[in-house]
Amino acid sequence: MDHRNEIAGSDEARLDRLFEAYRAACPDIEPSAAFMPQLWQKIEARQGMSLVFGRLARNLATAALALSLLLGLAVSISGSRGSQLPSESYAEILADEHYNASLDFEPLRPAPLAEPR
Amino acid sequence: MLVDYELIRRAREGDGPAFNQLVAAYRKRILGTIARLIGRPEDVEDVGQEVFLRLYYSLDQLRSAEVFEPWLYRLTANAAYDYLRKRRRRMESRMADLSEQQVLLADAVAGEKIDRDESQKKRIREAVDALLDRVSEEDRVLLTLKEVEGLSLKELGEIYHVKENALKVRLFRARQRVLKAFTAAHKQAAGVSSLR
Repeated sequence: MDHRNEIAGSDEARLDRLFEAYRAACPDIEPSAAFMPQLWQKIEARQGMSLVFGRLARNLATAALALSLLLGLAVSISGSRGSQLPSESYAEILADEHYNASLDFEPLRPAPLAEPR
Repeated sequence: MLVDYELIRRAREGDGPAFNQLVAAYRKRILGTIARLIGRPEDVEDVGQEVFLRLYYSLDQLRSAEVFEPWLYRLTANAAYDYLRKRRRRMESRMADLSEQQVLLADAVAGEKIDRDESQKKRIREAVDALLDRVSEEDRVLLTLKEVEGLSLKELGEIYHVKENALKVRLFRARQRVLKAFTAAHKQAAGVSSLR
């Protein structure tokens, strides 16, 4: 048990040393002269993209508004012509047409059999 | 703090020169942190620019200037995490295991058996990078911030918005996973050597 703990402890210490060596092996990075210009290029590119998307969204919103106005207009026009058009539903019209029809149905009977010879 | 609150406030209000000053004050520190988090000096500037790009677009969400540094570290950790995740996806089809030489080098470094010149430093970076590739990006970023960057539990708590006790548990588990990978790689290399 002690031996196992010792091995685990030594592994821990080795890992610590490895991280330490890694830190020392990572160089200090000096930003290049192009760092800031490139950064601003990226910022402007993204701004341009968001402008395009913004414009597209605005155009879509305008189109949707225009379409809903047109639809509203169409509905109001069809409302004003309402007198020429049937106001009842199809089922109601059917019901009206058959209202006076006789409800006494002829019972269905089988066709008479041929006379026996 | 490397800058005063007034500068942060001005940058927050969209003042370009103030933002430039802010970047100039922090970029070296942030690039150093990124280098240690991702282990690839050639990609550090790109990730660094991504951090400051995110900063530019999120400055208006900053509650107060006092929490600026943890905020910036949070953006840095997230950008490094995203980079590592993308890189893992790119590398998945390739061999991700540590080479025998990398294991032996890591072992020698851990045992303080070698002097370090530039080429050895590069190999150490590659060996540790390959070792940390064996654990998740979350474990890697958290452990590097603690063990390599030397951030305190309090600072990590501010970055991750997690209580210290929960952080201790996560750190312990992450460390155990790296240790397991380290020991496994070491055994694997020893096995290969003994076959020869």
